[in-house]
Amino acid sequence: MQVTIQSIIPDYFTPASSEVWSKNFEFQPNSKYLVKAVSGSGKSSLFNFIYGLNNRFSGSILFNDTSITSFSESEWTTIRTQKIAIVFQGLKLFPELTALENIQLKNILTNHKTEAEILDMMSQLDVNQLANKKAETLSYGQQQRIAIIRALCQPFKLLLLDEPFSHIDEAQITNAIALINKEVTTNQATLIIASLGDTYNIDYTKTILL
Amino acid sequence: MIGQLLKKQVHKSQLLFFTLSSSLGLGILLIVVQLFIDTQSLFNSKNDLLGNQNLIIYKDLGRDNAFTSDEITALNAQPFINKTGGFTHGTYRVLASVTFPNHAGISTEMFLEAVSDEFIDITNKDWKWQPGDKEVPIIIPKNYINLYNFGYATSSGLPQVNENIIRQVPIDLTLSGTHKTENYRAYILDASEKINSILVPESFLNYTNKKLSPLKDNKVSRIILDVINPSDPKLLEFLASKKYNYLSNDVQNSKLSYVLKLILSIVLGIGLLITILSIYLVITNINLLILKNKQTITQLHFLGYSKGQIAKVYHAIAFKVLAVSIIVALSLNIICKFIFMPYLSVLQIESNLTSIIYTVILSVLIFISLAMYYRNHTNSKIKQMLRPNTSLLSSEN
Repeated sequence: MQVTIQSIIPDYFTPASSEVWSKNFEFQPNSKYLVKAVSGSGKSSLFNFIYGLNNRFSGSILFNDTSITSFSESEWTTIRTQKIAIVFQGLKLFPELTALENIQLKNILTNHKTEAEILDMMSQLDVNQLANKKAETLSYGQQQRIAIIRALCQPFKLLLLDEPFSHIDEAQITNAIALINKEVTTNQATLIIASLGDTYNIDYTKTILL
Repeated sequence: MIGQLLKKQVHKSQLLFFTLSSSLGLGILLIVVQLFIDTQSLFNSKNDLLGNQNLIIYKDLGRDNAFTSDEITALNAQPFINKTGGFTHGTYRVLASVTFPNHAGISTEMFLEAVSDEFIDITNKDWKWQPGDKEVPIIIPKNYINLYNFGYATSSGLPQVNENIIRQVPIDLTLSGTHKTENYRAYILDASEKINSILVPESFLNYTNKKLSPLKDNKVSRIILDVINPSDPKLLEFLASKKYNYLSNDVQNSKLSYVLKLILSIVLGIGLLITILSIYLVITNINLLILKNKQTITQLHFLGYSKGQIAKVYHAIAFKVLAVSIIVALSLNIICKFIFMPYLSVLQIESNLTSIIYTVILSVLIFISLAMYYRNHTNSKIKQMLRPNTSLLSSEN
């Protein structure tokens, strides 16, 4: 899926000059992008604009030449289950549900993975033994890995990861990146990772400074 | 799982309270509606105490106490009078004789009157007469039968009669007019509680008046009024201003009917009020529940759950409360129906299932309309909550 950004700028704060705000560029299909920025420069805002949670910006965002402002509520629902997967910076897991239930919550909507496949992904990220633990009892790093698996339980053409590895150790980051790369390739999707500085040894098509 | 998440703030005791309050409101509503339907026959019937919407008026005694056609027109023109009917009387002398087997016969002078059929509280296919008919049906006041049974019959050793036996008693009428005297056979068709007169069909009276006393005028000395409310002060004021007399009993009866209707209306009002309050409570509770779960709702929506899928959980809660309330209310209503039955039968109301059928239909309609209302309300609340920019995440930058 091609995502075209045309001179967007948030209405509610004035960002510093960057390679994103007020610029025209595309996120090409089957490509990997790193959006690199310091804290507070608007990474999450950019992701929320693309994910349709926030429309307080001027300029346009197009998915395959269609402006996202034209999407209806139900079209957004379809997009969020079929086209765009996301790991929020705040993760947004449900603390009262177990790790596995949190993942299943997405999967019952998309019916994309079997339970065995989910457990397999969990073991790849070394969180399989936490499947039946409540999310609120997990460490932030463990929760990040659950959120990544949850995001992969759907078909997608665009994967948005907002500082996904901030609390994960090197070894698990390598495992997570292997899993993400595999899923991105399978889905022939575009990957956009927002990071404060780390590049996580991924072969990016382009690094964009925000 | 989504249900488990969205219902985490639901308190069963609260739901029970809302269910009980709406059951109570709906129950009162249905019971009153049922009572209204069951007592309709009382309000509508022509002969009953409560259904008395007629008033008989007459002038002070004297030689010239007939109503003129101008006066009748003036009565008809009043907004509180639906229609009028004049009593016409026979312009001849009437001698009636009855012969009981094995008893001495009795004979008496009497009179005959007629009034338009629509004012008579008796509907009977035999209430008709045309020239050539062998017998004339007569309607007498009910208290005549009582006077005969408990006064005359007891003291003179004659058999007591009821309304069925009395039909079998042949009456010979001798009508003597100015021009002619004729004999007719007659029988008592029925007894009226409303009209205090000896009535024959209008056709008979017109025919015999013309035939026996062709030169005499028919005069209207009493008028029966069909009114909206016999105790209407405007009506009574009007009658007083014209110096028309009426029987105060009729007015008392209508007051009774009015009070009964008023009481039922007040109870209906209370039922409505409780129902509205309970609907308001349920709505407020749903609002609160949605608000308490705002974070969960928005997060589920971000995950790709549609508004419909989320709203469905709250619809199910509201529908359950509503369905249980209506079932409880309907059961209360049916129980009350059987409790009231003996009391209503005293008022000669036949017990039938019509009112239950009506209340069941009403319950279904209430369920459908309230369910639709709750559904639309919940949908709009959730839609409001899930508008872009209201998200908790948009604060992250």
